[in-house]
Amino acid sequence: MLENFLAGSFALFSDPFTIGIFVFGVLGGMLFGAIPGVSMLTLAAILLPFTASLTPAQGVMLFAVIYCTGTYGGAITAILFNIPGAPENAPTAFDGYPMTKQGKSGKAVGAAVLCSAIGGVASALVMMAATEPLANWAIRNIGPPEIFALVFFGLAVASSVGGRSIWKGWMSVLLGLIIATIGQDPVGGINRYNFGFTDLAAGIAFVPAILGFFAVSEIFVQAEKKATGKFDAPEVGMSFPSVIELWAHKIAVVRSILVGFFCGILPGIGATLAAFMGYGEAVRWSRNKEEFGKGKLEGVISSETANNAATGAAMIPLLALGLPGGALTAMMVAVFQMHDLEPGPLVFYNSPDLIWVVFAAMFYANLSILVIGLLETKTILYLLKVPFQFLAPMILLLASIGSYIGRGLVLDVIVMFGAGILGFLLRRSGYSIPGIVLGIILGKIGEQNFAQGMQMVHYDLFTYFSRPICALLIAAGAMTLLAGIYKAVASSRNGAGN
Amino acid sequence: MGSLTRAHLVETAAWLAIFVIFFAFSFEFNQPIEIYKFGATGWPRMVLVMLLLATIGNLVYLKNHGSAVQKGRVGIADDEESDADYSDLRTLGKVLGVLATPLIFAMLLKPVGFYFATPFFIAAVILLFGERRVKWVLGITVIIYFILLGLFMVVLNAPLPQGNMSPFYDYSALILTLNNDLQQMW
Repeated sequence: MLENFLAGSFALFSDPFTIGIFVFGVLGGMLFGAIPGVSMLTLAAILLPFTASLTPAQGVMLFAVIYCTGTYGGAITAILFNIPGAPENAPTAFDGYPMTKQGKSGKAVGAAVLCSAIGGVASALVMMAATEPLANWAIRNIGPPEIFALVFFGLAVASSVGGRSIWKGWMSVLLGLIIATIGQDPVGGINRYNFGFTDLAAGIAFVPAILGFFAVSEIFVQAEKKATGKFDAPEVGMSFPSVIELWAHKIAVVRSILVGFFCGILPGIGATLAAFMGYGEAVRWSRNKEEFGKGKLEGVISSETANNAATGAAMIPLLALGLPGGALTAMMVAVFQMHDLEPGPLVFYNSPDLIWVVFAAMFYANLSILVIGLLETKTILYLLKVPFQFLAPMILLLASIGSYIGRGLVLDVIVMFGAGILGFLLRRSGYSIPGIVLGIILGKIGEQNFAQGMQMVHYDLFTYFSRPICALLIAAGAMTLLAGIYKAVASSRNGAGN
Repeated sequence: MGSLTRAHLVETAAWLAIFVIFFAFSFEFNQPIEIYKFGATGWPRMVLVMLLLATIGNLVYLKNHGSAVQKGRVGIADDEESDADYSDLRTLGKVLGVLATPLIFAMLLKPVGFYFATPFFIAAVILLFGERRVKWVLGITVIIYFILLGLFMVVLNAPLPQGNMSPFYDYSALILTLNNDLQQMW
């Protein structure tokens, strides 16, 4: 492994043009992740056609680097503006934004930098050491029933955070699942809910939906505060977390690395569910559950460690099985195909150089988060000093461009602003925006794997429980769901909303 | 009626409307799929029934507790609940203005194009957010417009909507020609 890693590092740093692409990817991912309104997906969509003129190794490496640094960059906007740069940063905002309002933005961003780097580096090391055996394990043990079970567990976790009651949490998730059914059904390709619009046959693209629900709705919330004279500019806090503060969360970091890696390795799941599960587990194991959502450093640490830990792991199903774990890894498949390559087991034998350049680049990209991220943080924090009336049009326009570029449809911009209005109204009524977004992202994956799983087990639902991983995940999801309902009923009996 | 308010009833009616509309429209694609017993409607209808059950649960919760946060819930920001007074027509007008302006901008993108509509949109949003100093409105509008053109048109060559109505389309064409000339100078 070490020999291959050194060879990959040499290939990466021996050519000035490849170094330039690496640096561009690191800075571009961080910048697009950290600008409210656009994300690493916007940059990746713009760059996709240009990768045709790069070598396959350079093209895939560029996207892998953007994936690592962009996942971290999205935490900055989540913490500073309550606008997650990507859905995987949504749980970061739960505690990160309250910390900003308390003048502790420096601590939150500092923790995000460090934990993203730790999660990413740990994930990259495991990826380098164990891609082939882990892929073989996944082939033998993970099938559609397990993926459906994990989606169910993830949605149960998402419903337990964010909404004002368990019912609102579930209604948010279910609304996301309904939105995800718009477009063709994943089994028979039959058009559903297009309401006469041909563009809707391809479904609701999730980038506009995410930008609308997160970025645009946040602008509307701030606009309402301005209109009612209740707008408070957040304070700039420059103090970083101390070593003692971070060391106190070492167990949360290790737990989130394991959660992130497990979620990342499963095809189609990716970093978003990892972040929710990392956050959910932090809440579950905490003695002070009621402090979450009010500016607890552990919330930021758990979410950011888990989502970056998923980045390396997500490369395993991509490279070993050819199955992307999210939007950006799906674009990587397109880069492979542009160069007449197919990701899958053969790529390890046909293009080992490419694989190790990508592995080495991801390792160094995660390390560079630590160095460049800390330097960048102090500059980025000054964004808070820009008056919001000047920041708002910039964010709205960047979001419009980010929505439009993916498919070149004005309808996507309209959908984004529609989602923004809907998100604003739902937030004001106590529903969970991250729950809706997770429902949209996991809806198609859940339906597809449920259908495949049912076909596999000849429609005998009890067969699901004869598969240990599947049974465990369904049981965990059901317990999370029942515990939430029990608490709601108990609080009804006691008359105890707080 | 316990703690139920008119807002709670409107909220519940909206969810029930979503259930009814989506359930009714599911008959439009109620076709069998040879390889899949549950067909194209199985999954959406299952989700809709769960949504109906959750809506009923929510209504019972609202009746017992009103809008109070359920004990033990996490991840809820303190400022998520609006206490804006919408009986004040000025406040209502401002908020409706902010909600409508981006939607109007998006609908104008197809006929008018990004290049022409953007400066007006920037200025409108700055004004709606309460900035009244004309020099600042104009100055910031110009700065944001040229930053966006510089980044997305000149550096990244991103294709943006050009509009399909004259003279807006001609304006977009002029901007793109200028960009082309600039690129060739390099």
